[in-house]
Order: sequence, then structure tokens, then C-alpha cells
Amino acid sequence: MDGVEAVDLPVIELAHPMPGFPDDERFALVRLDESGVLMGFRSLHRDDLQFVVVPPAPFFPDYAPELDDDVVAELGIASAADALVLLVVHAGDSLASTTVNLRAPIVVNTATRRAAQVILEDAELPLAAPLVA
Amino acid sequence: MLVLSRRIGESIVVGASAERVTITVLEVRGDVVRIGIDAPRSVRVHRAELLEQLAETNTEAASPSKDAVDSLTQALRDRR
Repeated sequence: MDGVEAVDLPVIELAHPMPGFPDDERFALVRLDESGVLMGFRSLHRDDLQFVVVPPAPFFPDYAPELDDDVVAELGIASAADALVLLVVHAGDSLASTTVNLRAPIVVNTATRRAAQVILEDAELPLAAPLVA
Repeated sequence: MLVLSRRIGESIVVGASAERVTITVLEVRGDVVRIGIDAPRSVRVHRAELLEQLAETNTEAASPSKDAVDSLTQALRDRR
């Protein structure tokens, strides 16, 4: 699938914690399916915290969040190719009720493995958008 | 909580030196107060309710059951 690379990153360090999870600073990114679209963003601090994340491209081909300079500086992103954008999935009872957070993606600098959940300026972006229309 | 009264154009300063944040009252109109925030890059500034909503959204999304992940995996596979 275009624009999707299956990645396994063993240790990702958050530049600042995700809202709601102040004590979890280190995560691993693991594949959850053979296609590499569904990934798990797993806390390394405890066994029971995992976020399901997906790359935007297969679901939202037009989604191209603009990262402001502060974020680029905070994550030390030197090249756009190093920025891996992941959407946090809220798995519903069915695919139709499954949503993703477009307002606050997780951005990983794959070169340095520093990451953050970035709150985008665009207030039009929903915190819960249907994964599939 | 520290409570201060300020007039339009007046500021308060939080922190010191490089990490200093200056908050200035710019305009007061009815029950809406416009404030300006001057903060170093490393200090992220957000509306409190957005952070609360995001914390809630994250908490709801966190740690889905294995069944939920399996059925999502299956549904996405069927879709392709």
C-alpha cells in the first residue's frame, strides 16, 4: 500500500507525555497485523497500556498535518522523511463505530526515536473521526 | 490558587529567566477576556478544555480488548 511502511521501533521516547498518561514516557511500536497498517503503541512502563495506531495514508489520503517549528524543534526533525505520523484509534464495536484522532496525531522522529502527541492548530480537525467513511 | 486583579495592558509573569512566561490582558468585552501569552518554545500553551478532551479521548482509546483488536484487524482485511 502506498505510503505505508511497516515499522517496528523498539524504544520510542516521548518528548512530553500524552494527556491522560503522565507517567508513560517510553513506548514501543509493534505491528499488529501482517500488512503493517494496524500498529500497537505500547507502554514500556507497564504491560497493560497500548494504543492502536494507524498511518493516515490508507484512510485519509489528503491528511497532511503541518507541524509548526516548535514541534519540529522539540522532536529534532531534520527531514520530513523522518517524521512518521500515526493516528490513535478508538476501536469501536464495529469498523463503522471505530474512530481516529485527527487533531492530535503521534509524530515520531524515526531517526532519533523521539515522539510526541502533537495538538494541531486546526480546530476543524476532529478528535474522533470515523476511520472509514 | 493565587488570585490577582489586572487591568487591560497589564501583565503577570510566571517563572524566571529563560523559562519566563508573560501573560497580558489585552481586551475585556462582557464575559470574554482576550489574553496574550508570551512563552518560550519549550512551553506548550493550550486551552485547558482541549487538553481535558484529549486526555478523555486518549483514555477511551487506550488498551482496547484483544477481541476489539482482532475484529478490527479482520474488518480491515475484509475491506481490502
